Amino acid sequence: MSALVATEFCPVYSPFFGVMGATSAIVFCCFGAAYGTAKSGVGLTSMGVLRPDLIMKGVVPIIMAGIIGIYGLVVSVLIGNGFRQDMSLYAGFIQLGAGLSVGLAGMAAGFAVGIVGDAGVRASAQQPRLFTGMILVLIFAEVLALYGLIVALILNTKAADAKCA
Amino acid sequence: MEALFYNADDGYLEAIVRGYRGSILNNTAYINLTQCETLDDVKLQLGASDYGSILQNEPHMSTSMLAQKCTDKMVQEFEYIRAHAVAPLQQFLDYMTYAYMIDNVILLITGTLHERDTHVLLDRCHPLGVFDSMPALCVATNVAELYNSVLVETPLAPYFMDCLSAEDLDEMNIEIIRNTLYKAYLEDFYHFTQSFGGPTAEIMAELLQFEADRRSLNITINSFGTELSKDDRAKLFPNIGRLYPEGNLKLAKSDDIEQVKATCDVFLEYRQFFDNTAAGSSKTLEDRFFDYEVHLNKKSFQQQFHYALFYSFLKLKEQEIRNIVWIAECISQGQKERINNYIPIF
Repeated sequence: MSALVATEFCPVYSPFFGVMGATSAIVFCCFGAAYGTAKSGVGLTSMGVLRPDLIMKGVVPIIMAGIIGIYGLVVSVLIGNGFRQDMSLYAGFIQLGAGLSVGLAGMAAGFAVGIVGDAGVRASAQQPRLFTGMILVLIFAEVLALYGLIVALILNTKAADAKCA
Repeated sequence: MEALFYNADDGYLEAIVRGYRGSILNNTAYINLTQCETLDDVKLQLGASDYGSILQNEPHMSTSMLAQKCTDKMVQEFEYIRAHAVAPLQQFLDYMTYAYMIDNVILLITGTLHERDTHVLLDRCHPLGVFDSMPALCVATNVAELYNSVLVETPLAPYFMDCLSAEDLDEMNIEIIRNTLYKAYLEDFYHFTQSFGGPTAEIMAELLQFEADRRSLNITINSFGTELSKDDRAKLFPNIGRLYPEGNLKLAKSDDIEQVKATCDVFLEYRQFFDNTAAGSSKTLEDRFFDYEVHLNKKSFQQQFHYALFYSFLKLKEQEIRNIVWIAECISQGQKERINNYIPIF
């Protein structure tokens, strides 16, 4: 078995940054998804008492909040596939950056989806023509997390060509 | 983010209020009530609702007894919530009672000036607005003495700043005092609710702004043809409504209802109050105000984790009592043509 030797470019602590990247991807995305689900869920339950026929249409913001959690999961798994005990510090930093980018972007998007979903669901119960408008705004909010995902994926591919010496 | 911490202190009370809201009579119940022929039928119909328990022991039905019992039940529910509330909800609920306190104070002053009996007056006071030193108001001669002896210890003390200079208490001045007090109270309540932020501030802003505009419109329309000068009229308008500041200036200068209508044309929601061209519109302006108020109060129940639903619950309960008494009066007087002029809530 070859002995693991720490070099300047592959120090002992570089996996720390990579693991923190994987953690922050899923944790912050889940913050955002949780806020989005909770806020729009409360609006949906309050609205659904008086208009039960609109409940299934009002589930859309909750689905979009859930998708943000999936983005975080995907990035975490992809980052996790690149872990090695002797990975380079460069790869560690890239993985941290990737995780943070999707995590914080997902948290921002989750906040937006929650607030818009809550207000939109309650308002579209009173004015049905608002539903399309609400969906459009939700898409714009969701796409912020998608940008974070794209950046994370692009960054992650760079981590593969790191060298130790 | 209020969702994270609200339920610790106020979740139980919100649940209780939502339970009370669920027992508010819906449209089917009102239709059944309008079909009744006598007040005993009304008692039978109400037996199935939450009011059944309080009415079942009454041998003889009358509309005044019905109104009294329904109000008692509403007061009981409110006092239960107030007893369990902690700050800041308790302060919020206290603010809600100041409006009734103002009405009681004015009632006692007016009654004393017309030499009515103290006990009769105290019985007619609204139970939500009682405070300890109320009977002492019956020795009223002028406002300054009232203030120094009684009112300075009540929560209404800061609202008297603008009307301590009132000379003598005659009919006109008492209405001015009432409106000045209410204006100060409304502005104070508005700023208090805005300090909460979040949905409480948003929903209460909508409700209190409508209340302010409604009072401005009522003062304007009622003062056409009286000796109230335009300056005095302008001093009574609350400055928190959507009509502030330009609308208030225009209302202060109006001379007839057409100018009032033009002032309100700017706001889509207020335009409908003066729209008399819709078919079958036999509703008075007051009816339309009540309609819109019920609409706003219903909307406040669609959000959670805020205090505005306590305010809305009280207002909707009052509207329900007004509806029941209206229907009961129409039945007992045998005039069923206008029995459908109640405001349906749910």
